[in-house]
Amino acid sequence: MSLLEIDNLGVRFYMEESKIDAVHNASLRIEEGQTVALVGESGSGKSVTALSILQLLPYPRASHPHGSILFDGQELLGVHKDQLRALRGGRISMVFQEPMTSLNPLHSIEKQINETLILHRGLDKNKARSRTIELLKKVGLPDVEKRLDAWPHQLSGGQRQRVMIAMALANEPDLLIADEPTTALDVTVQAQILKLLKDLQKQLGMSILLITHDLGIVRHIADRVYVMKDGHIVEHNVTHTLFSAPQHSYTKLLINSEPHGDPPVIDEQTHVVIETHDLKVHFPILRGLLRRTVGHVKAVDGISLQVRAGQTLGVVGESGSGKSTLGQALLRLIPSSGSIQFGGRDIQGLKEKDVRPLRRQLQIVFQDPFSSLSPRMSAFQIIEEGLLVHGIGATHTERRQHVADSLREVGLDASSMDRFPHEFSGGQRQRIAIARAMILEPRFVVLDEPTSALDKTVQAQIIELLLSLQRKHKLAYLFISHDLKVVRAMASEVIVMKEGLVVESGPTEQLFDDPQKDYTRALLAAALEGKALEWEE
Amino acid sequence: MLNPMSKKKQLLNFSFSRLNQRRLASFYQNRRGYWSTWIFFTLFFCSLPAEFIANDRPLLIQYKNQLYYPVIFTYSETTFGGDFETEAEYRDPFVRELIEENGWIIWPPIPYHYDTVNYNLKQPAPSPPDGDNILGTDDQARDVAARLLYGYRISLLFGVLLTVCSTIVGMTAGAIQGYFGGWIDLLFQRFIEVWQGLPTLYLLIILASIVEPNFWWLLGLLLLFRWMDLVGVVRAEFLRARNFDFVKAARALGQSDAKIMWRHVLPNAMVSALTFMPFILTGSVGVLTSLDFLGFGLPPGSPSLGELLKQGKNNLQAPWLGFSAFFTLAIMLSLLVFMGEAVRDAFDSRKNFASSEDNA
Repeated sequence: MSLLEIDNLGVRFYMEESKIDAVHNASLRIEEGQTVALVGESGSGKSVTALSILQLLPYPRASHPHGSILFDGQELLGVHKDQLRALRGGRISMVFQEPMTSLNPLHSIEKQINETLILHRGLDKNKARSRTIELLKKVGLPDVEKRLDAWPHQLSGGQRQRVMIAMALANEPDLLIADEPTTALDVTVQAQILKLLKDLQKQLGMSILLITHDLGIVRHIADRVYVMKDGHIVEHNVTHTLFSAPQHSYTKLLINSEPHGDPPVIDEQTHVVIETHDLKVHFPILRGLLRRTVGHVKAVDGISLQVRAGQTLGVVGESGSGKSTLGQALLRLIPSSGSIQFGGRDIQGLKEKDVRPLRRQLQIVFQDPFSSLSPRMSAFQIIEEGLLVHGIGATHTERRQHVADSLREVGLDASSMDRFPHEFSGGQRQRIAIARAMILEPRFVVLDEPTSALDKTVQAQIIELLLSLQRKHKLAYLFISHDLKVVRAMASEVIVMKEGLVVESGPTEQLFDDPQKDYTRALLAAALEGKALEWEE
Repeated sequence: MLNPMSKKKQLLNFSFSRLNQRRLASFYQNRRGYWSTWIFFTLFFCSLPAEFIANDRPLLIQYKNQLYYPVIFTYSETTFGGDFETEAEYRDPFVRELIEENGWIIWPPIPYHYDTVNYNLKQPAPSPPDGDNILGTDDQARDVAARLLYGYRISLLFGVLLTVCSTIVGMTAGAIQGYFGGWIDLLFQRFIEVWQGLPTLYLLIILASIVEPNFWWLLGLLLLFRWMDLVGVVRAEFLRARNFDFVKAARALGQSDAKIMWRHVLPNAMVSALTFMPFILTGSVGVLTSLDFLGFGLPPGSPSLGELLKQGKNNLQAPWLGFSAFFTLAIMLSLLVFMGEAVRDAFDSRKNFASSEDNA
């Protein structure tokens, strides 16, 4: 008998008048001590399936028209809520995606873990404390004794996720449900957390249900993989077989949707579009009554670079490395020091009023297409705004023509221009954001993680679009990303950033094939092979 | 589209019209607030043409086959065959007789203006309610019902004007502070703290001894001290929104600050401002009433709820004065508060979107 058997499960949501079937006839099986991965893109119903196990969906808006969930032979659907409560955090635990928000910011680490121990096991305070220390050691949190009283905000993202895992393990669950446990983390940390989960599973003999959108990461950790699309489980198999001989076309697409492209060839002949020398962005740290500056956060600490027409400079780094700050400083969206040469003149000293005409040639595309488009404006209004600012297109009809052309250029239907952002999918929104930048015919575009918020299959399309636009208009790109695979597909040259400094730089091929620094090596290993390497600080 | 993350995203980036529909529906579901709103606006719009409801001039006169509209136009007594060139005193039995000999008169439901002195009282003023003065008269023999009606209108008009003006000033101040931040924000905030510390009442008393306060003076003076209500919320919204990606994108397009604030940030701050407005209105009405009650408000003789309350206090033997003013105020302010609560709940996204019941 399997530990968990989901049979023919359906999940239905009622929205005002309509109803939506999020999951159709999903069947899934987890044996004891097995790691099972449930893979699918956003909206595929994978999280909903997982949340149904502990019935954490918003009932009664959600319902299960059919199906059964057997846990250790016991039917969970429709079970009394007291029994469910005993299971939650007891025999079945969950780890969520966002370690920033799933810990209570007002409780110390010790208190959060103690709580579940006292609740489910009835331990007294002292015993709970020693068990907490044991757990935190097990998940590899450094200096455990010192950190017991730490608050969540004093820990890094990876450390927080370790605490979350410790909480989930507190009662030695039989089944751990990990819902995108590494998505919010940097690649190197991601590899460490996955390794930790694998090790813990071996030690404790529990089963893991790993939910993720990233087929790549499950390769090394899962025994069995279920692929989900539009609420259906389209394929499942033993991991090895699934990767070597995928049956369903969607699985094949997922496996092959690793980003690839032909980055522009390095050409020393073309002219330099933008160039910086010793660019610095320091944020003062203010303390005390008089708000005196006691120090600086050096977000960008003396970076020199140049980007040529038709070329892409990739900027790679983990969160907090200052790569986004660098991009925004280049466009003078945040104050900086050091020279910025654009089009033969130094734009650093110019007044905002004098920079404004240049903005037409300096554009930016942001990471999250959900937040970078104003929800209250139609696609036409969003794209038109730049035309109005720079006085392009005298009449309304002329501007509509312009907008239609640019929508077609980014691969969208021009007739959809009067729709609002929420009516578009994530990939389409990113195309609108690109159209907003491209309609001004810029010479230099900062691409700030333009593909990170998108599903893998959409990512590949956006990369293709960006490359073709670059070839057509001889654009200079600064491509910022934490995803090395995407950078390899886009950039001709790369700089690796860490804590505001350049760790290593060079032509893409050379840097990927023969990294010189340990940090670069660790990054590459984590990103490309999913391995956790140690590096010297 | 239904894993919880994407659902959340959908809701955060809502369909604007659908969100508004949801808000309307939520407002409608709050029966108390919904009916309060109806009653309040009905009363308000009824009080606007107060001259046609309570007046000492007839609505319509037919005299010698000709129609006259005394509420709108002024006619001299000679028009109706009287002796004086001055305006006709329609309440005068002599004039009335003159007209009725050759035609007829239609009076408004309450045949008194707020400043009409009723000289035909059967007992000394303040006289209790009777068929003639349905809510009695005050200590100067003026009809209480007429004064209430005019007082209600002036209170609300004053309140609405003060609310609108202080909202505009407050939002502008909050927007500038929040959007630019830094030193502007710091200095402005300190200034507001000092300004809030000024004893408003004493200043009003002092100013009242320099100028004779009328409606517009009072409006201006109160505006000086009451625009701060919204600054905090609007400032917070702007502080938050100025770092949104779409605001940054607009800056990268070269859009000017004023346009960015207007087109991109302001719509985000509107929700909190709208939520506050009914409560600001309640406060504004209350302030005018209390100033009138203390005698520092509208000039003597103006119809006002505060003044009526004061009369009620001074004439405890005439409880209809105090009761009328009290119930009018209590009902009006309660309606406003209920309305405000309904608006606030309708705009509360958490309440609107919260998963109905997690049985954990």
